Amino acid sequence: MTMATDSSTPNSDFQFPPLYNFPPFFTLQPVLATRKSQLQSWSSLIQSYCRHHRLWTLTLVDALETPLFNNTKLSRRLSLRDARAIIDWMTTPEGDSRAEWIPTTGKKPSRSDEYSEAGKCWIYWKRPEEWASALEEWVDRTGQKGTVLTLYEITEGDATRREEFWGMDSTLLAKSLAVCVKRGKAQVFGAEGSEGVKFF
Amino acid sequence: MFLNPLDLTTALRPSLLPDETLLFVQDAVGLYEGKLKIPKYQNGQAYLTSHRVCYVDQTEPRSCSVAINLKEVERPEFYAGFLKSSPKITLYPKASKQLSIATNPSPTAQGTLASATDGHVAPATISPVNATWVCPICSFSNPVPSNFDPTAANARTPLPPCLACGIKPPLAHVIKAAIAAIRQAQSSDGTPQYTAGAPASSTPGTVPCPRCTFQNHPSLSACEICGAPLPAAADKRLEAAKAITRAESPGPFSQTSPLGHEITESIKLSFRCGGEKIFYERLKNALVQRKWLLQSAPPIPKPLPASDHVNMSAGLSAATIQASGASGLSKAIGIAGLERRHLEQTKNNEAVIGTAFSDLEALMTSAKEVIALAEQFANQANIGNNGNHNREAANAASALSLITTKDMLGTGSGASDLYISELSRNLAEYLTDDTRGILRNEGGIMTLVDLWAVFNRARGGVELVSPSDFEKAARRWDELRLPVRLRRFRSGLLVVQGRDRTDEKTVASVLAWLRELHSENQGQGQDREVSWDQRTWGRGVTVQEVAERFGWSVGVAQEELEMCEEKGAVCREVGLQGLRWWENWIVKDPVVHSG
Repeated sequence: MTMATDSSTPNSDFQFPPLYNFPPFFTLQPVLATRKSQLQSWSSLIQSYCRHHRLWTLTLVDALETPLFNNTKLSRRLSLRDARAIIDWMTTPEGDSRAEWIPTTGKKPSRSDEYSEAGKCWIYWKRPEEWASALEEWVDRTGQKGTVLTLYEITEGDATRREEFWGMDSTLLAKSLAVCVKRGKAQVFGAEGSEGVKFF
Repeated sequence: MFLNPLDLTTALRPSLLPDETLLFVQDAVGLYEGKLKIPKYQNGQAYLTSHRVCYVDQTEPRSCSVAINLKEVERPEFYAGFLKSSPKITLYPKASKQLSIATNPSPTAQGTLASATDGHVAPATISPVNATWVCPICSFSNPVPSNFDPTAANARTPLPPCLACGIKPPLAHVIKAAIAAIRQAQSSDGTPQYTAGAPASSTPGTVPCPRCTFQNHPSLSACEICGAPLPAAADKRLEAAKAITRAESPGPFSQTSPLGHEITESIKLSFRCGGEKIFYERLKNALVQRKWLLQSAPPIPKPLPASDHVNMSAGLSAATIQASGASGLSKAIGIAGLERRHLEQTKNNEAVIGTAFSDLEALMTSAKEVIALAEQFANQANIGNNGNHNREAANAASALSLITTKDMLGTGSGASDLYISELSRNLAEYLTDDTRGILRNEGGIMTLVDLWAVFNRARGGVELVSPSDFEKAARRWDELRLPVRLRRFRSGLLVVQGRDRTDEKTVASVLAWLRELHSENQGQGQDREVSWDQRTWGRGVTVQEVAERFGWSVGVAQEELEMCEEKGAVCREVGLQGLRWWENWIVKDPVVHSG
């Protein structure tokens, strides 16, 4: 699991969008039309930032200190409340379901739980369905239909080092494979911890 | 001319002459000329002032409004209404000069007949006089009654019996005779020289009888032989009248514009929503008081002789009297002169006040002067106190002439509604009055509460307007198409502003200012580091800056900015430095490149 605080691989500097340098961008606008536009801008900023840094999840409290939400040059930062509102919006269908709160405990979280707990969320710069398609496409491209692949092989193997899903969080991978299974394109078997998958 | 064009104020009320006061207002009034409705003048407000009766149309106030000067009104007549016919007040014009005398004599029947002829008034006027019917029993030639109208006659029309045998003729018989006579008159009209030329061609100075052709003496009014009425006598007067009237009114009822032609009969005001009784009462009073005479009359005895009198009675020295008696401006030189003039002025004032308050009658006659004095005192008091801060209050007297009070309006069902609409117009006038410049002083916008306070103060403490009436009146500006409007901000604050100041204009002016800031001198804010690219984003402004820049109060500026935000023109930034407002780049540049 890659923590948001890691931001360990600054292979090249992330190019922030122009709006990132606009001070009011860090205040959530109350007027509906403006707010919607602002949320969209934030959403795409977060997605591209996470894609750049290969982040699969964000922990809000920690992420607030990262350049994503904290523009040190302007000395403007997004407040925790506003950041939550943005992620909330990203989880809705209107926000294209680009995020999902991760429940801390096994039970279904109520809304208040989400706020009180760690506030950790998936950032889907690709949604599980999209990942599923990407995996299928990769299997198809590399001619591995019918072969059994381990999950470790997919996320950590040398063969996939150039693929986007390299280093993917295992939970997310499981989710994506589940989509493939549902589509009837793959089959997952094996015991917990050493699962394998077969595409066909 | 009986109907005069009328000047309207910005609020579409009649603009009053100096000294003219408004007495009564009633809406839903229609105008009649004689018996006929005047088209386009059928639904409007009737204003009764001390000098005039004004009609202002509801839908076309600018083009369809007229005034009748009360001094030209002979008498009013009241008709109480019956079943579906509305109550009416008829105003008869004064018979002025020979003109109206000539055209007046038989007003009822000719209108319809004359319109059928080729525009000549005279033949139609005489023809019924000439007509005779022959009694079927005794064959006596009876004259057709002068007011008999063959087109309007029916079974109930009273017919006079035969002069010889006393038997009433059948109706058809009389109608036939009348029509025959008219036709005869028309054909004789084809030879235009008939009446005018006859005396010249035949024996000079005689008039041929139209029936038996006997040459009568010109001074006779009826034929010596057969008794038929002679046209000449009536004709001569009519000839003179024709020469004048035809020039300006070819058809007696050309109904194009009531202003254009002579009103020969009367003007009726039809009161479709009541109010006629009070209107009539006040109209009668106004006609009795004849305030318009005051305008031209010499002013009420001037204080100068009176002051002499007072001086004497006060036992001042003879020298002072002489001085004041012979006082010219040339004599008043230097401080001594000024002092003396001041003294005289004081004496005058004393005299005016003394006589004015001696009894009620006197007070009423010298009301104008007393008001002027009071105003002057108020001004002096103000100079002593706080300059022109109380200018509105000092204008009380002039505002008084404008006011609409509940007292002026009828008690009918629509009275309160009318009161509101009149108040609304009144307010609009008050606001747009350039001499006061109420709105201008407030940067073109002021809260309704402020306006209410100022307005009531200007009313001088009488007939104060209740807040609810005031709000209702303000809400009707839009409906009445007045040049001011009421605006409600999101917070519920109600403000008043000119109609030309729309939200779009405000937004544009704010944006223009924000754009200016892009190129603003960077060194201006030395105290704080500008960490963003000001060339691109401009600068955030505070509410205070905006208020200062546009001359608004801070509350209004806040509301205006929120309105701009609502429209998506600006956005806010809440930071350590408080709330700042920026040009809205969030909406304009929403595409952030992905990847």
